[in-house]
Amino acid sequence: MGIICLAAGPVAAQQRTNTLSGRVLGEAGILPGATVAVPALSTGATADEKGTYTLSLPAGRYQVVVSFIGYQTITREVNLRASQRLDFRLTPGGTELGEVVVEASGTLEQKQKSTQMSVERLTAAEAKLLPALFGEVDILKTLQLKPGVQNGGEGTSGLFVRGGSADQNLVLVDDAVVYNPNHLFGLFSVFNSDAVQSVDLYKGGFPAQFGGRLSSVVDVKLREGNNQKLGVTGGLGLISSRLTVEGPLKKGKGAFLVSGRRTYFDIFTRQINKLNEGDPDFNPIPDYYFYDFNAKANYTLSEKDRVYLSGYYGQDKFGFNSSGGFNFNFNWGNAVASARWNHVFSPRLYANTSASFTHYKYEIANKLDQFSFNLSSTIRDYTLKTDFEYTPNERHTVRFGAMGTQHRFGVGRLKAGSTDGRLNFGDDVGYNGQEGGLYFTDNFRASDRWQLEGGLRLTGFRSGSDAYAGLEPRAAARYTLSPKLTLKANYALMYQYLHLVTNSGASLPTDIWYPSRLSVKPQRSQQASAGASFLFAGGQWLLTNEVYYKWATNQVDFRDGAQLFVNPDLDAEFLFGKGFAYGDEIYLEKKTGRTTGWIGYTLSWTKRRFPAQRGTAGINNGELFYPTYDRRHNLTVVGLHKLSQRVSLTGSFTYSSGNPTTLPLARFLFQDVYGAEDSAVPVYPSRNGYRLAPYHRLDLGLVWKMKPTRWFTESDLTFSVYNAYSRRNPYFVFFDQVKNEDESQVIGYRARQVSLFPIIPSATYNFKF
Amino acid sequence: MRISRISRILWTVLNGAARPLAVGSLAILGGCGLQQDIDVELPAYPAQLVVECYLDPGKVPQLTVTETTEYLASPNPSLPQQVQVVLSGPAGWRDTLQFAPAFDPVTKKGYTHRGHAALQAQPGDVFTLDVTDALGRHLTGTATMPARVPIDTVEWKFNDRPEDQREAYVLVRFQDPATAGDYYRFQIHRDSISDDPEVDYTPDDRLNNGQEFTLGTSYEFEAGDTLITTLYHLDKAYADFMQSVDDARGANGNPFAQPAGIRSTVQGGLGVFTVLSYERRTIIIK
Repeated sequence: MGIICLAAGPVAAQQRTNTLSGRVLGEAGILPGATVAVPALSTGATADEKGTYTLSLPAGRYQVVVSFIGYQTITREVNLRASQRLDFRLTPGGTELGEVVVEASGTLEQKQKSTQMSVERLTAAEAKLLPALFGEVDILKTLQLKPGVQNGGEGTSGLFVRGGSADQNLVLVDDAVVYNPNHLFGLFSVFNSDAVQSVDLYKGGFPAQFGGRLSSVVDVKLREGNNQKLGVTGGLGLISSRLTVEGPLKKGKGAFLVSGRRTYFDIFTRQINKLNEGDPDFNPIPDYYFYDFNAKANYTLSEKDRVYLSGYYGQDKFGFNSSGGFNFNFNWGNAVASARWNHVFSPRLYANTSASFTHYKYEIANKLDQFSFNLSSTIRDYTLKTDFEYTPNERHTVRFGAMGTQHRFGVGRLKAGSTDGRLNFGDDVGYNGQEGGLYFTDNFRASDRWQLEGGLRLTGFRSGSDAYAGLEPRAAARYTLSPKLTLKANYALMYQYLHLVTNSGASLPTDIWYPSRLSVKPQRSQQASAGASFLFAGGQWLLTNEVYYKWATNQVDFRDGAQLFVNPDLDAEFLFGKGFAYGDEIYLEKKTGRTTGWIGYTLSWTKRRFPAQRGTAGINNGELFYPTYDRRHNLTVVGLHKLSQRVSLTGSFTYSSGNPTTLPLARFLFQDVYGAEDSAVPVYPSRNGYRLAPYHRLDLGLVWKMKPTRWFTESDLTFSVYNAYSRRNPYFVFFDQVKNEDESQVIGYRARQVSLFPIIPSATYNFKF
Repeated sequence: MRISRISRILWTVLNGAARPLAVGSLAILGGCGLQQDIDVELPAYPAQLVVECYLDPGKVPQLTVTETTEYLASPNPSLPQQVQVVLSGPAGWRDTLQFAPAFDPVTKKGYTHRGHAALQAQPGDVFTLDVTDALGRHLTGTATMPARVPIDTVEWKFNDRPEDQREAYVLVRFQDPATAGDYYRFQIHRDSISDDPEVDYTPDDRLNNGQEFTLGTSYEFEAGDTLITTLYHLDKAYADFMQSVDDARGANGNPFAQPAGIRSTVQGGLGVFTVLSYERRTIIIK
């Protein structure tokens, strides 16, 4: 999110301008989206994701108004004789008491006037207002309520953006890549809402500083911590608890934040197991829990230098130990760290340089009596990146930068053995890869009506002796028809050099990443979108309509029966095809007043074609098919109403066309060789030829802010009702045998639909002291 | 390890994890009925011939010819009409099998067609199958008998439990041929070859080509057990078919699996035509 120039008054070209720049800070760190306005010149800027703003102004004395939703607006007089740097600090209060805020990405007017389209910003504070499954606030799931974003299934946090698959999202946390952003098979994301400041989701029109994935950028920023006083926040929920400690490293100079959470359903399941000990009919429930930690620190070294350290570590742990000697342990998780240095060369030029590390690993360890079996896979990256932003004058904002990543793909490691050493074998398949990128982009305000942005990104990738390069043009334009109506368009070409090896529609921890090498060429996509934004009702409502068309080549899938684990010839298992997606997204939002919210509707098509190749008939016999995340209609309605100073009501309704799924059309009897039992074998002649019933759900919530007490400065009780009318939404459909009374004979077959979650009420207590 | 197996494990895992979630938060919502019967309208799928033929050297050829049925149709197998089956082999050998539906008490399998004489076959021999029916459907297949891979040793070892609770595991060793692409099926039957096997693995030499294989069981056999160990050496087509059958069955009811088509060893229909090549040993655990 760059600097967004507001409607500016005419400035004489020959008049010398100075730059006023700096950061906007709140109680707990930077405030991306805050507004810095100079009413006398009808100009202003919005703080970017690093909280930085830049204004080009003629020399003179001005009243500068700084505001951010939820904070008290301040006005300061600035005598600008030369370029200067000035930070503003806002204190909480202001509009928060009178309004419920849905979204804080600046005002609707700013959003309307930006060249950037196809982007959604959400803060954790906003996500916390909405009802959530089990009361677990999940910022990625909240993003699923935005138009153009589909979920991967009931309750899951996977994002499928404008026809892209989940592996085509670049998920960043403080500039570091997160390869598997899911806990518990995607039911929860790895982002603890107490540690997250905000998330920007780019669905198209990707700024040139981003690359490496085809469909979206999910840019998560962690909170910086309170640099004024020590504080503790936490929450007790139905299935997990959270605790966050933050405070100054040196008052006003730096701050730290440490946040952790852990689920505790393993505690309950152990008790259930204990109660049923000795019951031969009882199958013990496996142990499962996850935990994660986030930490961030920042320190201002000088007026021009600031450093940041961020880290994430999380693990899912699954264990099953049977009395029969079978032990099954399955662990997976990410470790992510980044260090960033922000340097201001001058009020017109600043740079961010970062070094980051990310590591994802899963490990399955089986033990059956004396035999053991271990399977694991990893991916590990080291990345260096630098980004510059230069504002030569009030018409241009130039960004340029470079990045390089060293990848290590541990595609699979297998080890099998026995305690007596009689059995011992294994294999280890891994590759290295190097990825680099250079970019340059210029945001040019050509006139009061026209604003243009053009950029170019050069990317390259090497793995062994295979090397690839790509040139990725990016372009965006905005035309202001009237103060209320703007037209926008953009285009982006993207390359993706990493491929997710998965044969499942779901997000599994066993999904592994594979580099472009041998026959596996980089994926490539192009997207063009155009839209209009109409501001009305005195700026309280913004209606946006965007249409998009995306076409992609070298999309990957896998041949039937592919050997995906520990296969040194894995590239031979890939199949390649094309993807197409197009649609229309209509978005109506209201951000101020006692009642706020949005309505989003998406009409979309997503198709793929994998022709006959590599001795196969392709997928779906080479015919077009809909992937599981194709949804013709998607409607979301989100509303928040402030009943009083302390009580807010919230609700969200979502409707989606049913998922395409594959059902067997026929079966045959299979007897097998000696002794093996007869069975009915399903025949699947086509891919995703059946659509499940439509999905719809209403969630309701209530947030009750309690009065400050001696112990807690703030606390609230949040009630959620997930699936309020207990709709039996289809999770999947299968065919089952119908047997006679004594279960000795199959007398027929039936179709069964499985639903995952009925109505789920929950309560969460959040506190701060 | 195949993805279907891992995903099946994961589904079991998820079921296991989802259950406590439901118990913890939703005990009050008992009897919600998260599974329900639904009506589905499936597009018509033309019935295809299905053949299952395992030529067993030294035994009279017999095979089953059925056809696919709509999934929700009656469970009784559908038999095509006026099916003619011709088997051909080395040196001009040819046998037109008789339609003689019966039940084999040894294999405990039904069959529809049976040959006239015991099959003579050596590793490397090529056989062909030709099936036609009244609707003009034509199914063909070719199979080559794989080499026999001898079992080197079969041994067992008891655990350290008290005498009356002792159980043994079984280890079987054999040498994988030097050439890559060998597929096996290893079974252990208790007492009778006609019953469900206690152990049924389908390993291959993808990770340990040319090396000695050791296949083992858990501690699950008792003193006095009569065990019949069988090591089949499969060709790739048969192994692929087995895997695809396994995957297809596993995909029904598994939301994490990607349903896949059946990779038949025959053309013009579905099914398997292969020549069995196996080594069998019987042991008594003592």
